[in-house]
Amino acid sequence: MPYSETFKDHLAHPRNAGQLADANAIAEETNPVCGDRLRLSLLVRGGRVEAVRFLAYGCPPTLACGSVLAEMIEGMTTDEALKLTRKEIANALGGLPARKQHAAALAIETLRVAIDKAAND
Amino acid sequence: MRRVYLDHSATTPVDPRVVEAMMPYLTEKFGNASSVHLLGQEARAAVDYARRQVASLVGGRENEIIFTSGGTEANNLAIAGVCEAAALRGRHIVTSMIEHPSVRGRIEMLEKNGWEVTRLPVYDDGVVRLEDVRAALRPDTVLISVMMANNEIGTIQPIEEIGALVRGERERGNRQLWFHTDAVQAAGRIPLDVAELGCDLLSLSAHKIYAPKGVGALFIRRGVRLSPQQVGGHQERERRAGTESVPNIVAFGKAAELARQEMNLRNAHTLRLRDRFEDEISRRIDDVLLNGDRQRRLPHLSNISFRFIEGEGLLIHLDMQGVAVSTGSACSSGTLEPSPVIRALGRDEELARGAIRFSFGKDNNDEDVDYVIGALARAVESLRRLSPLRSEVRSSVSGVSG
Repeated sequence: MPYSETFKDHLAHPRNAGQLADANAIAEETNPVCGDRLRLSLLVRGGRVEAVRFLAYGCPPTLACGSVLAEMIEGMTTDEALKLTRKEIANALGGLPARKQHAAALAIETLRVAIDKAAND
Repeated sequence: MRRVYLDHSATTPVDPRVVEAMMPYLTEKFGNASSVHLLGQEARAAVDYARRQVASLVGGRENEIIFTSGGTEANNLAIAGVCEAAALRGRHIVTSMIEHPSVRGRIEMLEKNGWEVTRLPVYDDGVVRLEDVRAALRPDTVLISVMMANNEIGTIQPIEEIGALVRGERERGNRQLWFHTDAVQAAGRIPLDVAELGCDLLSLSAHKIYAPKGVGALFIRRGVRLSPQQVGGHQERERRAGTESVPNIVAFGKAAELARQEMNLRNAHTLRLRDRFEDEISRRIDDVLLNGDRQRRLPHLSNISFRFIEGEGLLIHLDMQGVAVSTGSACSSGTLEPSPVIRALGRDEELARGAIRFSFGKDNNDEDVDYVIGALARAVESLRRLSPLRSEVRSSVSGVSG
């Protein structure tokens, strides 16, 4: 399955790329098998994700999932963000090939670790 | 948007002169080369002429060329055919760690059926050593299969030296040892002469030299024992049954002739573009590594690892800018398959994942090189801005200086 235009747009113009200087939660998760990495830095205040930045290394779906996740969760409450699923991430990119679903899994996992850290801040 | 094709090791466009040569055999000269009537004779004459043209490209005799459906079939036929015929005399194969998947896969199949295999290493230059070949030979070795030039990094292997070694073995009475080389990437790009190379079998593919896909050839030196792998007809001297693809074969012949005539011109051209490309990249982009020996490699190919980023992302970024290249690594179902070729050079996983192959062709020009350098610099910078690997290096560097 070819990548969608939305997918390519995220690759060409990543949303919220980089690191937050004033983050209060940073999480970096690695897919132990393929080595893909996603780093999220969040500024969470009053139970809401006020700002988010991401960095990613790996195959294009990992980069695009990081970008779409960073775009989606900005402004969400942490409860809303925790309800996000792999499928929603993949759908927001116009779908992912079956063999690339692990990229959405990495995004969700990193998000949960980051929000967990913010809650314990 | 400008489109630049730098993937000539994957395939090439068909040369208009080749199209012109094959066209009549799709329409009015449509005969089956096995038919007795005039149309058949016409097709037979065309196939025989093409056979001479292909034989000339590698210095072989006309009756030593067998047409196949492509390089993959030629490799399969060579390996399976020789091993099946020789199985009673020995079941040991010597090959390299950087062979094309069609060689690697066929040898793995034999291994599953009880054959023993010695896989020769390459060193950081991507080249097999003659001493390793010599040391690997056993009394029961029946086949050596080492490629002429590698498809990912273009390094040229010591085929002539291995050929001399095999000849020496034969002079000492070892008559069961055969030597195959996959010359799919090398043919038409460097001069090949099977007499000088001393190989017994040599695989060729048409679509790498500006002919259509779906046709290739295997050179089989007279006297080599080979079991056919496809039966059911008398074609190709009983070694490869099936109606000859006359238009494709005619095209292959014409392309082989053009490649031979224009080889020096094409090489000088791609070499100049390739070297300028590499100089500019090394100058303009940090943290790049050129893979494979600098001298001993095909003149049209460049394989470069870009640190901190991954090849497929770079490939798609370039594709979005109209530039076609390829990468040897794949990430699939969360399992990484880094290029075995780059790994065999001793490169770490990050460098193997960040390797891209640029392969130039006769129709590329200086404007293409300029455009790709710009596109590449943008793509690399954009991906590196996203990379947590680079931000780590940066913070550790600033930590040291601070």
